[in-house]
Amino acid sequence: MYEEPYKWVEAVGNRRQYLDEQFKQGSPVVALAYEAGIVLLTVSKGTPKLYEIYDRLALGGMGHPADLEKLRFSLLEMAHVEGFNRSPSDVTGSRMVKYGIAPVIKQAFEEVFKAPFIVKILLTELGAKAGKETFLVINYDGTFEEGSHCAVLAATKAVEQDMMKLLRAEPGGRSLEQAVGVALQAWALGDRSQRQALEADTDHGRESQADSASTDLASLSAYVRETVKEKTIECAVLDRTQPGSAKYRALSPDELGRFLPKDVRASLS
Amino acid sequence: MGMQGDFFQLLKAQGYHFGASGGESHDQQFTTATTILAFKYRDGVLVAGDRRATAGNMVMYDRTDKVLEIDRHSVMAIAGVPATAYEMVRILEHSFKYYRRTQLQELSFEGKLRAVSKLLKDNVAAALAGTGAVAPIFAGYDFEQETAKIYFYDILGAEFEGVEYAVSGSGSPTIRGILHYVNTWGDQLLSAMTEEQSTVQALRLLTSAAEFDSATGGVNREANLYPVIKLITAQGIRTMPEADLKRHFEAGVARSI
Repeated sequence: MYEEPYKWVEAVGNRRQYLDEQFKQGSPVVALAYEAGIVLLTVSKGTPKLYEIYDRLALGGMGHPADLEKLRFSLLEMAHVEGFNRSPSDVTGSRMVKYGIAPVIKQAFEEVFKAPFIVKILLTELGAKAGKETFLVINYDGTFEEGSHCAVLAATKAVEQDMMKLLRAEPGGRSLEQAVGVALQAWALGDRSQRQALEADTDHGRESQADSASTDLASLSAYVRETVKEKTIECAVLDRTQPGSAKYRALSPDELGRFLPKDVRASLS
Repeated sequence: MGMQGDFFQLLKAQGYHFGASGGESHDQQFTTATTILAFKYRDGVLVAGDRRATAGNMVMYDRTDKVLEIDRHSVMAIAGVPATAYEMVRILEHSFKYYRRTQLQELSFEGKLRAVSKLLKDNVAAALAGTGAVAPIFAGYDFEQETAKIYFYDILGAEFEGVEYAVSGSGSPTIRGILHYVNTWGDQLLSAMTEEQSTVQALRLLTSAAEFDSATGGVNREANLYPVIKLITAQGIRTMPEADLKRHFEAGVARSI
């Protein structure tokens, strides 16, 4: 059936359409640099989406939990074996992505007789010095992009671009509190856009679509207040000042509560 | 998937061999000998070690770190063949981290003790051949029982709890007697000592060990060379800074020698 090239291209196109559909209801993930390292944030319904990979590596994911687990284990195995056989300094995000999981994801995507990975992955690496952070985003087809200040995962490129615009508009050198605030706004912007797109698809919310690009603080805060009541705000940092070699730390609910805007804190309690 | 979070199994599956024996015992002199100690004090556990590495009568190195952090709440002090001991520490460090990262929870304190024991058992052939004997002290904070604990091992992997203290290495017979004396007839129990009192005590013990054991390095004030002392509490591990060691040594040890 797929022996003819155009049929294979068609099958891959169908697969792309199928995968795009799978992410429409996913929760966006935000990562950005702050004065002591990198903060990662998402809002989940219970299954965690932020993980420690190695001493200076953290992962955020979107998609099917079982696929995410499989790739997370691949990364963990690669990182730890490499760190043991060579040295922790040789375990870099760039190597893990380029020579590790990106080829695996690409192969699964193009083998049209097998199931693809329903995942988008954001891998962040804490640099030894401020300003040396690396952000890698891998798409479900194995393509990846590398950035240096912030990165996001969302259902579509358009939503990701809006979120990145908001993150880049904020000045650098943020405190952790400021970074958590901005990350939450970016998440709200992305999640609201995705939800409005879904409603538009079902012809129920065409009117509200005009509001999707609005980035004013009040409307984003209101959206967060509405949305997070039955969900969990997940936040983790790669903190350069943390003692010991492992720099990853998930923020406890109490610690996170101190950084959240007052109105959001009230909705959570 | 993930070998149930077992990094050592993962390494073995990739062809790694630990503790391979060279067969019969040899006459070569390997870098060895040491004094390490651990005792409970008021806030947790203190672990200390001298800095000397020797091979027979030869001093190989005077700045060895024998008190090594495995993770945020556990420390292994090493006595024996350093090559094997450092390899064990590297395996344990990666094992505990790998477990935490794959299973999304810390390995229990009992699990950590078992991991040390398993490594020593795998190393028996090398230990008996004389090329890889290690007799470590493992100390850490047990969150289930909310207390810091001390364990010591023989070279075959037998595990013993040091309820109040533990010692190992060639200088240990000297200070074992002192620890017993101090804890039984001293002004106060070791476990009642403050951080400052226990630091002075550890410096005195290691200075005594160096006095009677040529394979244990003493303090060299001119070279700014002091033992390594780490303190384990519920908050984590803290290494006593050199300046504090110097201050405590001047105030509580140097006046008497």
